[in-house]
Amino acid sequence: MSSMLTSATTEPAWLRRTLIAIALLFLALFLFVPLAAVFFEALKKGLGVYVAAITDPDALSAIKLTLIAAAIAVPMNLVFGVAAAWAIAKFEFRGRDLLLTLIDLPFSVSPVIAGLIFVLVFGLQGWLGGWLRNHDLKVIFALPGIVLATVFITFPFVARELIPLMQAQGTEQEEAARVLGAGGWQIFRRITLPNIKWALLYGVILCNARAMGEFGAVSVVSGHIRGQTNTMPLHIEILYNEYQFAAAFAVASLLAGLALLTLALKYVVERRTAATHQKART
Amino acid sequence: MSIEVRHLTKRFGSTVVCDDLSLDIPSGELVALLGPSGSGKTTLLRMIAGLERPDAGSVLFHGVDATDADVRSRRVGFVFQHYALFGQMTVFENVAFGLRVRPKAARPAEPAIRAKVAELLSLVQLGPFAERYPHQLSGGQRQRIALARALAVEPQVLLLDEPFGALDAKVRKELRRWLRHLHDEMHVTSVFVTHDQEEAMEVADRIVVMNQGRIEQDGPPDEVYDHPASAFVLQFLGEVNLFRGGPGHLPGKGGEAPIDYVRPHELRVVAQAEPGSVPVTLAQALTVGPDTRLEWKRAEGEGTLDVEMPRSDWVALRDRLGLKTGSAAHLVPRKVTRFISDDDDPAAMI
Repeated sequence: MSSMLTSATTEPAWLRRTLIAIALLFLALFLFVPLAAVFFEALKKGLGVYVAAITDPDALSAIKLTLIAAAIAVPMNLVFGVAAAWAIAKFEFRGRDLLLTLIDLPFSVSPVIAGLIFVLVFGLQGWLGGWLRNHDLKVIFALPGIVLATVFITFPFVARELIPLMQAQGTEQEEAARVLGAGGWQIFRRITLPNIKWALLYGVILCNARAMGEFGAVSVVSGHIRGQTNTMPLHIEILYNEYQFAAAFAVASLLAGLALLTLALKYVVERRTAATHQKART
Repeated sequence: MSIEVRHLTKRFGSTVVCDDLSLDIPSGELVALLGPSGSGKTTLLRMIAGLERPDAGSVLFHGVDATDADVRSRRVGFVFQHYALFGQMTVFENVAFGLRVRPKAARPAEPAIRAKVAELLSLVQLGPFAERYPHQLSGGQRQRIALARALAVEPQVLLLDEPFGALDAKVRKELRRWLRHLHDEMHVTSVFVTHDQEEAMEVADRIVVMNQGRIEQDGPPDEVYDHPASAFVLQFLGEVNLFRGGPGHLPGKGGEAPIDYVRPHELRVVAQAEPGSVPVTLAQALTVGPDTRLEWKRAEGEGTLDVEMPRSDWVALRDRLGLKTGSAAHLVPRKVTRFISDDDDPAAMI
């Protein structure tokens, strides 16, 4: 490209370089340095301490609980998200806009408030507390509460990812399939699902990342019982408060590793999703 | 398979999209639903297909009420304006879809499916494209695949919603001839929606002209063109000059006065005034391909009049009368259609 051509359509070189430098500096300061610090602190006292921190029974219990909570919450939100997106994108009905707003609620409410709502409803002093106690059911300070809070917080990810794509794709292909004799399930499996699969996977990845990393809401409902109701983020906080920095950073490095893996997956899937969006438009 | 539409009504909110429509389509006919956008033609087609539920009235297939029948059981083929091909499937799988989704008992064996799809692909002249994906095809090819897909289920009725609307002019012309030939071979009762009067005239056995949710006229192309039932039909089917209060009168508000309509090719250009002629001066002459379009300014009052004639006729006329821009002449109508003007001012509809 000749400089004559580009100068008409872009900013001067010094401005471009300054902007890029500012962006890189910002990234370094707020992302790369902290990320490096996590791994540095985790391994500062040697590999032995690192392994010991991770294989500590309380740490293993926290990892297990986090995986269980995500393993329940993510599939639930996969189903909820697809159902909600399908309803909103493909049908006109009363209250559609309200539903769309409600889906965003977890984004707009502070996670701590979300946790408190569950305590208010399911806690011993809560609305359903007496009934739950009489039936020997424990929600708050137990796995069900942690799952509930996680489901609530991560609800929007799948639905939000699917709605714009499904709206762009419209209903013509589904209608064509119906005229050709396909039933509801056949239409979903053979037409709708292949059309949304990359966006769906993207939503699931984001949903999973948040489910494993959620702190606020889970912190309120979990009760911080070591070896029982501590998830990884809660366990890290406890270790940190007890000045066990190496151990805290060791567990934190696992979450950070998960974040990096998520980023890598997200990058791959995002490119596929962009291609699907492109196709929906043509 | 004949289609009967009885008093179909459909509202979207407070808008009446189809207003008490009744229509008979005999078996084997190719019918065009012609009208401007918002005239209810696509909604009528979708109600026949079962993709839209009527608020009142019924649809009968071969005398049997199908109003409440599910789309899947109606055995209609539907072709969408934007093809609606399944982007994740090959051309082959697109065409085979209707056969593959049948219940096990009714599903043909794999070799039978392969044979059927191959036959349809050769019918639409796209045999070598079986393993391509829709986004690798041109618009005209995609629409032919959409047609093959619709025909795969051996529909009793073929419904096409603006099938050529998204294609460029040349491909559109080719495809509509091809559709006409296809229909002559297969004789499946077909209804297609279009807003292009030329397309309707060229392809259909019968034209149903629609406006504002109602049927304005229903008849063979020649009849609709030569004997329009209303000013709307006359104006929608081609260019027309308006004479308020008859030729020779000034254009202007006529109230209940009759309006005379004269098509551009029904006006004769003469040098001297004749009974019923209108004095004019030549504003401009535009030649497009074989035809010349003359724009005349009325000598008395406002307004212009259009005249159309073959280019060779224009050249002869120009030389004979010595016409150039600004020349005076007189126009004599050969054929006049008269309608009483009403509130639905036809001139305001176009």
